[in-house]
Amino acid sequence: MNYFAGIDVGSTAIKVALVDEQGQLAGVHVTASGSLFHKNSTEALNTLLNKLGLHRDDVRYLIATGYGRKLFKEADDSISEITANAAGAFETGKAYGGVRTIINIGGQDSKAIRIDPTGNVENFAMNDKCAAGTGRFLDVAARNLELDLEELGDYHFQGDKAPLNINSTCTVFAESEIIGLLANGHGKSEIIAGIHYSIASRTVRLAKRVGVEDRVYFDGGPALNKGLVAAIQDELGRELLVPDYPQTTTAFGAAILARNDYLEENAG
Amino acid sequence: MENEIHQVIPIQPAPYSRSRQAGEAQTVLDHIVDDFEENPAAMQYFYDLFRQVYCHGDEIPHSGKLVGTTCIQAPEELIYAFGATPVRLCNGSYHYDQRGADFMPAKSCSLVKATLGMLSSDNVIPKIGKPDLVVNPSTCDQKKKSSVMIEGMGYQVYDLEFPNVKESEASRVYWRRSVREFASELRKLTGKRLTRANLKAAMAMTGRAQAAFRALHNFRRQTPSLILGKDAFLVTNAYFFDDISRWTVAVEKLNAELAERQAAGFRAVQSKAPRVVFTGSPPIFPNLKLPLLIEEAGGVVVADETCSANRMLYDMTAVDEWLLNDMVDSLADKYLKPCTCPIFTRNDDRKRRLLDLVDQFKADGVIYQAFSGCQVYEMEYRSVAEEFNKAGIPMLYIETDYSPDDQGQLSTRIEAFLESLKNRKKRRA
Repeated sequence: MNYFAGIDVGSTAIKVALVDEQGQLAGVHVTASGSLFHKNSTEALNTLLNKLGLHRDDVRYLIATGYGRKLFKEADDSISEITANAAGAFETGKAYGGVRTIINIGGQDSKAIRIDPTGNVENFAMNDKCAAGTGRFLDVAARNLELDLEELGDYHFQGDKAPLNINSTCTVFAESEIIGLLANGHGKSEIIAGIHYSIASRTVRLAKRVGVEDRVYFDGGPALNKGLVAAIQDELGRELLVPDYPQTTTAFGAAILARNDYLEENAG
Repeated sequence: MENEIHQVIPIQPAPYSRSRQAGEAQTVLDHIVDDFEENPAAMQYFYDLFRQVYCHGDEIPHSGKLVGTTCIQAPEELIYAFGATPVRLCNGSYHYDQRGADFMPAKSCSLVKATLGMLSSDNVIPKIGKPDLVVNPSTCDQKKKSSVMIEGMGYQVYDLEFPNVKESEASRVYWRRSVREFASELRKLTGKRLTRANLKAAMAMTGRAQAAFRALHNFRRQTPSLILGKDAFLVTNAYFFDDISRWTVAVEKLNAELAERQAAGFRAVQSKAPRVVFTGSPPIFPNLKLPLLIEEAGGVVVADETCSANRMLYDMTAVDEWLLNDMVDSLADKYLKPCTCPIFTRNDDRKRRLLDLVDQFKADGVIYQAFSGCQVYEMEYRSVAEEFNKAGIPMLYIETDYSPDDQGQLSTRIEAFLESLKNRKKRRA
């Protein structure tokens, strides 16, 4: 059996996805990027292969994407995370009646992508050169509040006070703002809701820049945070389509593209 | 004993070649030359020229008075006609951009800041000496407000008045008068007279240079491309400061080589490389950041609509009667009528020209650069984007400045844009 791999070497996590010849997802694996990008990428791929009882030789074509795509030399090709993300969301979205707009929040950037009905990228926008409104922002906030990242989502829905305004867009300044709010005796839940709304409004502005069409797909690690999902839905005035594995959409897209490239090259 | 402690140790100023701006130029030039394969042999002249001027700080000899210009709207034919030498001062160095931040608010255009930074330093790059006069056309606000600052640095500055409305007859009359006043200023500076003969000779000289540029421009229509955009930008950048006759000969040699390449079926890029038209804020060496990112990612810049290349050299003077008065008027018209600078109230010519370039050069898309703080380009984006949306031509808008720290992000955006252009082509085929 032939398999095709997509490996998304992100700033925070490495994501691997494997698809079969029909383009069906065979499995995914996520691991922290750490400092040894190359070693950790190779290990992540091997872990997934072991889990599925496969060998490296079963993988016919491998496409790397993400921040560290150029560093993973074993790949057959590399592609930007925007194209890979669009391919993954388009494929996943088919089951839900199609997707035209994608919001992705990653560890160090956030983007909005608009695709045409055939899945080709029509327009996209990325945040500017800082960590405002990205996963890193949630990381920093969780640390200030002495919570685990996973707990933020639940806190969003607790308490009965309105979300507080977090005015600073800069992650570092927002950190001191959060400390100030805590010092003034504000509760964690209204601070957390405020943080989510602050990210949500930035993200929605980004999405509006590319033009919001039809169903909006939301992926990337922070899409696991239900509170953030609720805040973005509220700001956007639309429901979001959040996949089962929001972290691996881009790796899945790269795997799909690897399969298509392989079949195209071996068609004759 | 005390004297010894307070002794000042004399520090020899480091030679220019060891300065930060030389290092910056060196890095970019090495990248342009070494990281791309099969550069045209005739490009060696330009690589050497930039190395000599920007990396070693050598001076280029010039004749007569040296007249610095801060914009292409200053008619250089007039400067040549008075026996003086024009040099374009617009600067592309990040080092000078940081230095120039002292003069301008934080959110100002890198180009203006870098030019001020350079003029305020001891090293006026390109090193052909200190200008005897700086001509500052009253175009965008940031340039307008630079006059006083440049004067404060000890230069003689001339404000060349330029209109904001292109189509009106009043503007045309105003601008023609403005050009005449500029001529009398040059007369004061040089002590020479403007004659039919010396203006005609000057126009013939720039005319030959422009013809060479047009030939180069036309070679870039070829698919697959014969030459990369990074080299074409370097050629037009050299026009800022090089001896015009030497420059023209070097471009003619390059054109001859491109003709050979064409005959031999040579290709400088892969046949499927996405073809891009570049527009907006001008790439000026060493800030060739965007063109280089585009071509590293496998695209090719086939044409441009910027004031550091096409807009500076494409449009020729059309003279009806070879009498001095008519010649000066025709010259003035050349600098107003075809100009597609966003400082004008409305700028439909720019949209038309861009659509035309995309069509003629078989481009797959357009990349629009706006320097952060260059308000006119930032504001004009909207109307240009609408036009391109209507025409169904993909366009990528990039707001950036001279700092290198956004290169990682930009390369992702550019790669994604080029990938989408490739996909579009595939689907259409």
